[in-house]
Amino acid sequence: MDNTRAVNHISDEELASKVAAGSRSSFEELITRYSSRLYYFLRYRFKTDQDTEDLIQETFLKAFHNIDRFSSEHKFSTWLYTIAIRLTISRFRSEKKRSGPLDPSSSPLDPQDIVIQKQESQNIWQMASKLGKRQYEALWLHYGEDMPIKDMAKILNKKPITVRVLLHRARQNLGKRMDQPLATRKLAGTTSAAHKFSFL
Amino acid sequence: MMRRSKMFCTLHKWKISQALDSGKPISSHVRKHLSKCDSCREYAELCTSLKPKFTQDKQAILQDFDDSLNKRIMASIPDKPEWGAEPGGRIRAKRSVRRPVLIPSLAAALTVLAISISILFIFPRSKKAPSLGQLSILFSAASPEDVLLKVESPLEKEYTELKRAFESTSKYLISSLDFRIGPQAK
Repeated sequence: MDNTRAVNHISDEELASKVAAGSRSSFEELITRYSSRLYYFLRYRFKTDQDTEDLIQETFLKAFHNIDRFSSEHKFSTWLYTIAIRLTISRFRSEKKRSGPLDPSSSPLDPQDIVIQKQESQNIWQMASKLGKRQYEALWLHYGEDMPIKDMAKILNKKPITVRVLLHRARQNLGKRMDQPLATRKLAGTTSAAHKFSFL
Repeated sequence: MMRRSKMFCTLHKWKISQALDSGKPISSHVRKHLSKCDSCREYAELCTSLKPKFTQDKQAILQDFDDSLNKRIMASIPDKPEWGAEPGGRIRAKRSVRRPVLIPSLAAALTVLAISISILFIFPRSKKAPSLGQLSILFSAASPEDVLLKVESPLEKEYTELKRAFESTSKYLISSLDFRIGPQAK
């Protein structure tokens, strides 16, 4: 139990170093930390959940075999996401398939799935998934993983300015999709409103 | 006027996004615009609300994640990685980086070399180069003037051929154009 708690406080990069030194349990911890995150990052790239899970499994396997090449100077998350996205691209290239429909409403769903979808409709990630896979992935990396633009550009294999534009468009489109109409919102006063955005 | 203000809003919204991504404060003129424009103010408010909303909802979706996938992945992971680090042992040195640029460069260099060799050895030299027999005839001439004439003769031959070509061309041009000068001209 204490061991588990101790592992929880270790950074990803330290865990990766331990895996490189032969610790299998450290890799298990990395899987626990990242499998779900990778799943939600990649789920709209594939037609079925099974395909997504297979790709995640392949990603971890590749990461395990190449852990000696990981440099702890970089972030482990960036490295792992890069592996995942490259494997996804190479899989689509090899199979010569197009990626699955991003909008779940355009694919045939079971009644059970429809119920789940309705329950999830309040979740902002569900809403973000309807923006398009590029915008969704940019949002996931930026808000979900708290990644800087530079790392996002590396993972998505794009220029930083392209990533900024993607994020900007995603925010604008998300604003349009919000249930609550923004235009009807009234702010208390112009001066106080300007103070509100002092974070910017 | 309406279009102009919309265009400015687009620019200001972009500035707001930039400020959000870079963590820098917005400029004073954007701030001034925010105090006047409802649309841009709403956009800025949306941007501030996104981060906590995304974080909160991420926790919600990750909690629902079934960990059977983790077990499946762990079962597929071998005891040792392919590069075979012993537990607690040293990590193998990094693999040497392949340089694929060298291969096409080498191929290009070899091609150029092969072409050069073929030019030098395979293709025969000019057929008009004097052979040993011709040289003996040249040196058997009676006087140096004769030798000079014999040496100059190819040049003279070329000159004659050029002259002939020029004459035939001029004749052809005259006959085809058919222009005349003087009282006979029509």
